[in-house]
Amino acid sequence: MTLIAKLLPAANICLGLEASSKKRVFEQAGLLFENNQGIARSQVFDSLFAREKLGSTGLGQGVAIPHGRIKGLKEAIGGFVRLETPVAFDAPDGRPVNLLFVLLVPEQATELHLQILSELAQMFADKAFREQLLQATEVAAIHTLFTAWQPAHAEAQRRAAV
Amino acid sequence: MKIIILGAGQVGSSVAENLVSEANDITVVDTDIPRLQAMQDRLDLRTVVGNAASPHVLAQAGADDADLLIAVTASDQTNLCACRIAKTLYNLPTRIARLRSMDYAEHPELLDDSNFAVDFSICPEQEVTDYIKRLIAFPEALQVIEFAGGRLSLVAVRAVGGGPLVGRQIKALREHLPDIDARIVAIYRNDTAIMPDGDTVIEPGDEVFCLAASEHVRAVTAELRRLDKPMRRIMIAGGGNIGYRLAASLEDRYEVKLIEHARPRAEFLASNLHSALVLQGDTTDEMLLEAENVDDMDLYLALTNDDENNIMSSLMAKRMGAHRVVALINRRAYADLVQAGRIDIAISPAQVSIGSLLAHVRRGDVAAVHSLRRGAAEALELVAHGDRKTSKVVGRRVDEIRLPEGAMIGAIVRRSQREVLARMSDVTVHETEERVVMPHHDTVIEPDDHVIVFCADRRVVARVERLFQVGFGFF
Repeated sequence: MTLIAKLLPAANICLGLEASSKKRVFEQAGLLFENNQGIARSQVFDSLFAREKLGSTGLGQGVAIPHGRIKGLKEAIGGFVRLETPVAFDAPDGRPVNLLFVLLVPEQATELHLQILSELAQMFADKAFREQLLQATEVAAIHTLFTAWQPAHAEAQRRAAV
Repeated sequence: MKIIILGAGQVGSSVAENLVSEANDITVVDTDIPRLQAMQDRLDLRTVVGNAASPHVLAQAGADDADLLIAVTASDQTNLCACRIAKTLYNLPTRIARLRSMDYAEHPELLDDSNFAVDFSICPEQEVTDYIKRLIAFPEALQVIEFAGGRLSLVAVRAVGGGPLVGRQIKALREHLPDIDARIVAIYRNDTAIMPDGDTVIEPGDEVFCLAASEHVRAVTAELRRLDKPMRRIMIAGGGNIGYRLAASLEDRYEVKLIEHARPRAEFLASNLHSALVLQGDTTDEMLLEAENVDDMDLYLALTNDDENNIMSSLMAKRMGAHRVVALINRRAYADLVQAGRIDIAISPAQVSIGSLLAHVRRGDVAAVHSLRRGAAEALELVAHGDRKTSKVVGRRVDEIRLPEGAMIGAIVRRSQREVLARMSDVTVHETEERVVMPHHDTVIEPDDHVIVFCADRRVVARVERLFQVGFGFF
C-alpha cells in the first residue's frame, strides 16, 4: 500500500465543489476536516493560508497540493477536492487549478512528510492518472484510484504478485 | 491575490498603483464616483461605489473571495468597522486598517480578533513624521531608512566635491575607514542607476545609497561630503496632522517655529504645543518669512496639504537664505521635477507611508518594503525560509544566488539563539541575538536570515520576491 492510501479516508473526498477562489477552497477544506476529523476549521484555514503566502503549492497542469502543519495533530491526514470551476492559484504554469490534494501534518515535520509530498507529486505528474481523476463520477472510484496507484517501478512487481 | 482597497484617496490610489502591475485582482471602494472613474481609466482594476463600512458594499466588492482587505479611507471608524465586518461575515483572512488617531494605538487590545479584528494597522502621518525626523538627525542625507530595529541604516547622500571619497574608486572606502564595514549598493548619476563595483569612481552630484551599521552612518557620510553642523532652528509651514506631530516631537530639542494659516487650528496648536512658536499666517507670505528670520533657519519644512503651495514656499525660503528646504509633494511628477533643483528634498508622503503596507501584500515572507527615490527603486527585507532543497537562496553562497540584474544583496540580519543557562533553576533559557552581517561573495545564507535586497528598479522586485519564495516541498 502506498503512503497516500493510508492517509486518505473516502469521506475526505469531495467532488464537484463550487468555489470561486482559493480562499473559498481553503474554507471548504477546513469544513471537511472539521466534520470528519474534528480539526478546527480555522486552524486548517490559517495553516494553509500561511503556507501559501510563502510560495504557491500549485504544481501546474491544474493541480495543487496545499499543505500545512497542525498543532496537536497525531498523524498526517489528507483530503482530495475536485472543483467544478478552476480557481487562480499562482501556479508555475499560470493555469488555474481544479484538482487539489490537501495535506495536513503534525507540527514536527519529518522525513515521512517529505516522502508523502514526493509521492503525491509523482502521482499527479502522471497524465493518465489526472485524466482518470477528472473523469470519475463516484467518490468510491476516486478512492480506488488513490489506493490502487503504484509508482511506475513497482508496477511490474504488482503484476507479478497478481 | 484578490485585494480589496477601501478608499481611493492618496494612500489608496498609491497602493493600487503599486499593486496593479503585479498579478493581482484589485477592487477599489469609495463613495466618490469621479475619483473612482479617474482611477479606473488609468489602472486595470474594478471599482465599487458605496460606503466601505457596509456589509452589502463589501460583498459587492468580493469580500467573500478576497485574500486581503486594505482599509485606508480617511475615517478611522469606517476602517475599523470594515475590518470587523470582513472578519465576521466573510472570514477575510488578512485585514489592514489605516488609523490616523493616536488614541487607538494606546489600546492595542481593541484591534485583536475579538474586537475590531485588525491584523496590521498603519498610520501614514506617523510614518512621514518619523521619516522627516530621521532626516533631521542626519542633516546631510536625502533619505534614511532603518532595518533590524534601527541597527542597520540605508542612507542616500548626494556626493559633493571635497568629500574624501569623491573622485575616487569605491574600494578606497575600505582604506579610508578600515574598521567600518559599509556597502555602497547603488549610485544614481543624472537619474540613471549604476550598479557599482569596487572600481566605480564616485563623481560629484552622484546620489549614493549606502548601507552601514547605524552608528557608522555619519562616518560614511563624511566620506561623501562635508558634514553640516547639527540642526538647531527649524521652521515648519503647515500645522496639519504631520506638522503638528513633528512640532510636538521636536520642540524640546530644537527651536521650532510653526506657521499655520487657519486661525482656529493655529489656536489649537498654540494651546497644545508648549515651546514651539505658533504663527498664524500665509506660508507663501514673503514678509512673514522675512520677519521670522527664515534666513537663520537650518531647515525649512513645507508640510501643507497643497503641493503648489509647498513648492512655492520652500523655493522662496531657499532663496531667502534657509539652509536646507524640504517639501511634501504628493504628485510624483512634481516631486521628480523639483528635487535636486533648488528644493533639497521632495517627499512623496504616499510613497513613504505605503512601504509598511506593501510588506504584507507581497508574496513570500517580506518583513519590510521601503520605497526609494519616490517609488522608482525599492529596498526589501526578505526572510529566507527552508533549506537548500526547498529554497533558491538558503544554503547558497551570495554569488550562487541568481538575482536579477539591478538587484543586490546589501546586508544580512542574522538571528541566532544562544543558550543561556539560568543559574537559579535548571531551566535552559534561549536568548535571541541579532547581528548584522555584511555579505561577501562567499557568505552563505542561513535559514531565517533577514536579507536586505536593494532593487535599483522597481520592475525587478517581483522576480526577487519569487526567488525568496519556498519551493513546493516546504512545510
